This record gives sequence, structure tokens and C-alpha cells, in this order.
Amino acid sequence: MTNTNLTVYRLGENAIVLDCSKLFPEFSKLNIQTRIWELAKQCSKSLEFQDIVPGMNNLTLFLHDTTQVTFWLSVIEKRWHSTTGLNVSGPTIEIPVLYGREYGPDLDAVARRHQLDTTEVIRRHSAPEYTVLFLGFQPGFPYLDGLDSRLTTPRLSTPRLSIPAGSVGIGGSQTGIYPADAPGGWQLIGRTNISLLTPDLPATPTLLAPGYKVRFTPVTSLEFTS
Amino acid sequence: MITSQESSTNRQQPLANDAIIKVITPGLFSSVQGLGLSGYRHLGIPFGGALDRQALILGNRVLGNPDSTPALELTSGQVELKFTRDAWFVLTGAQYRIAIDGRDIWHSWRNKIKAGEILTLRGPKSAMRAYLAVDGGIQPTQQNTTLQITKQLAKGDCLRLGSALSIAKPIGAVQRGYSNEIRALPGPEMSLFTPQSRKAFWSNAWQLTNDSNRMGARLAGEILSLTKPQELNSHAVMPGVVQVPPSGQPIVLLADAQTTGGYPKMATVIEADLWKVAQTRPGSTVRFIHVSPGQADDANYEWQQYFYRLQRAIDA
Repeated sequence: MTNTNLTVYRLGENAIVLDCSKLFPEFSKLNIQTRIWELAKQCSKSLEFQDIVPGMNNLTLFLHDTTQVTFWLSVIEKRWHSTTGLNVSGPTIEIPVLYGREYGPDLDAVARRHQLDTTEVIRRHSAPEYTVLFLGFQPGFPYLDGLDSRLTTPRLSTPRLSIPAGSVGIGGSQTGIYPADAPGGWQLIGRTNISLLTPDLPATPTLLAPGYKVRFTPVTSLEFTS
Repeated sequence: MITSQESSTNRQQPLANDAIIKVITPGLFSSVQGLGLSGYRHLGIPFGGALDRQALILGNRVLGNPDSTPALELTSGQVELKFTRDAWFVLTGAQYRIAIDGRDIWHSWRNKIKAGEILTLRGPKSAMRAYLAVDGGIQPTQQNTTLQITKQLAKGDCLRLGSALSIAKPIGAVQRGYSNEIRALPGPEMSLFTPQSRKAFWSNAWQLTNDSNRMGARLAGEILSLTKPQELNSHAVMPGVVQVPPSGQPIVLLADAQTTGGYPKMATVIEADLWKVAQTRPGSTVRFIHVSPGQADDANYEWQQYFYRLQRAIDA
């Protein structure tokens, strides 16, 4: 029953890690990730975990009680094999984006690099339905799957010291949205006025969560507060 | 985990009207910290909380507050605070010079300050971070609590206090001794490093650099190298993880570290010793001691015994 493509190990005193990255390319990254969300959801029903954190084709489980580590190391692989990745999908969140000008200072450079019109960059960026694979880097920051491969753009050689909250950027083969002002090296193509942080809702303090879908809608004007 | 009297979420307590601390001089990198927040790391929200968890718990125990009650974390410089209600307070962690309206007060003893008086804290004389706990606790804002965002204290800030507790007399607590020997478990990517780098990690002294902060303690020493270049997928990390970025200079992740990372993990500092990293001053060195998970459990048990004995003494 052991599958040599899966790796399970302990991290520190109370965490265990399931690494599924070697299942790619036999399975797509999105398919692997879908099964990880399903496993995460199953595990969240047990009250033994402090935190259950998906990464890129891996899952880390933080236990309250270190005496349970051995047990979970022995069963997590079996639980993985019971997942199908079916019927796991979150809601679709629409994000209005004002592309270009001072809101997307790198839009022209991205278009030139790929020998496309800026309108074609916008069309290709706003066409797909993206999937939130996992969150990290800063609170509410989504790692999105689904960027058109024609738009793959390297990061800036010198990162900006401050990027305004709501900026939409491309970094390598990823696209994402900055939830708060932060330094960063992604190429900025637009900005949204939707807040990705909802601290007034302590149970759901971020707009997005793993498994959610995202659609970017180009708009011609947006009101920005502050 | 270090034992806690209740869940690690910051507890909201009833507010006494107008009970505040007014910040006259904020010091450098001062902030309000509790014991952090779990359950939200899949949303990118860091654990947060006090860097020296045990010092915060000690301060709260001395006052009779719940363990996770937020307190003021001080990093350096002079801090001046004016209280608008009578309050019992205690300073734990790094050694500071403490004075009420110019009158010197002992460190790690609980003392009373009267409404209108000014508390002056100067330091640290040794170590790095001190915790000012107040009876009833200091209230962080909801946004900072929910997102575990560290907001540095600024001149003119008003920190709201919880309800006063009834305390009769000063008592003091014995603080544990600092050493620069940091016990750690080997990390999952340790085998990816060259034998020479692995040996250097465990046997050399590592100097803490000036660009260390609440996200991580950055160390300088021999360049650590991988046997071959390695790309890792982003994965969850946590406070205590020792990452090695391409510079070859290790970083010990601390409370405000981001929730995911992609660098190889050489080791994980055990929970019982992470406070020592937070109490190391830039320019000083640390050494890593290789331990087993069983030894990590024993070290946590020693902390439990320390707090058990402390509680017995307070209750006596």
C-alpha cells in the first residue's frame, strides 16, 4: 500500500508534513491540491489540530499534543488515499481591477515584453477563472493558479520598497493581489479597491481561502479610499 | 506548548471607563503582545504574540492575570508611560531600570503605580526584550488581534486597560537564567547540506545581526551550502524553524514570520528555548545544541515545573 511518491515527516515538536509534490506530473498540480484541501477539511473535523496549513502540493498539520505525532504520522498517508478531490470547490469571488496607468505601472512593460497590446494583456489576464491554491507571504495573500502562460513575466530585478494594498501583479508564472501595503518584486498591472482583509469578521478575517475561485473584471473607474 | 490557563487567543476583557496608559515616550519597537493566535495560519495570518512567551506568562502569573493577557513588549530605548488609574504592574524578561516619578523600583516585582504618576523604563541593561504586564491587561485593537499585525507604539497612543484586580502586596519572582546554548531538532532538509555545513551549523558560534526583528533572528557565520541547488515548493513554516536562504546565512523564524516559505530548513529550535533567541542581542552569539524529540519534551516539562512551583509560591 505504500506509495513511494508520497513523503511524510515530522517538523519540529508538533507538526507533521505530507509532501505530495512528486505526484506531479503524473497528476496536475491543481488535482493534487484539490485532494490536499479535501484532506485538510477532513482533518479539521478532528479537534487535535492547532492549524492545518496547505502549501504548494503539501500539507502541514500542527498538533496541540505532541504525544499524538506518532499516531498521525502513521495514518495520514492512508487518509490521503481516501481522498478523491471531487466536490471540493469554494465560491467564486469577483475582483474589479483598474488596469494600467498609475494603478498598474508595469502594464506597458509587460505588454512590450510579450509583444502584445495592453488590451490583449488585460484580456488574457481577466479571462481565466483562477483558483486560490494556498495563502502565505502576508495575511490574505493568495497564490493563484491559472495564469495564461503567455503572461509569465520575471520579477523586477529591484523590488519596490512599498506597493499599495490592492495591487494586482505578476511574478513568474503566478499572479496575485497584495492585501496590504508591502515591499515586493512583482510586476504591477492594476489595482482593486476590494479589501482582502476583513478584520471586523474575526471568524473569516480574509476575503479568500484555499479552494476559492477568483475572477478579475476590468473596469474603467474605481473609487479608492485613503 | 508551554502550558496556558486558557486558549491562546487574546481574551477580550471588560473595560473600565477611561482606564488608560498614555504613551509619553514610546521607545523603539515597543508593541502590545499576547500569546498569539492559532487556527488562522492557512489564511496567511502569522502566529504572532510575545517573542519571549515565558516572560509574558511569568508577568501575568505574578499579577493574577490569565496567561494570554496582552502586555507591552519593549525592545530598547527609554519608555515613559502615564497611568490614569491605580495599577499593579510587573516588568519581566530583559533587565530595565524602572522608576515611578523618579523613584527606583525592583525588576520582576509587582508594584503599584497611582493614577497620574509616570512610569519610566530604561534599558535593556542585559538581554533584549522586556514585558510590562498590568493587572487587568492592556487591550490591543481588534484589527491587530484578528490579523496578528504588530503595530509599533507611538507617542500619544492611549492603551486601554482591563478591570483592576484586587492585589494586596508586592511580590517578586525568580527569573530563569539565560544561556546562549539553543537546543534544536534537526530539520527535514538537513541532509541536503554538505557534511562541512552540517558540522559548522552544530559546532560554530553564530552572531545575531542588526537586521533581526520580530519576523526573524538573522545569523552570521560560515556560509552554509547545499550539495546541489535545490528548489522547494512553498510549505508551512513556524516560529523556531531555522531557514537557510541562498545567502547561506541562517534565519531563525520568530513570532511574526510569514506562514509559508520555500527555503531549506536546517533545524527547528525547541519551544522551551526559543525565548533565548529572542533575548539575544545583536552582536552576541548563539550555539545550537542537537537534541531529540524526547529531550524537547523533557525541556517543556521543566518549564511546566517552573510555573507549577511559581504558582504554589504565589498562592501560599
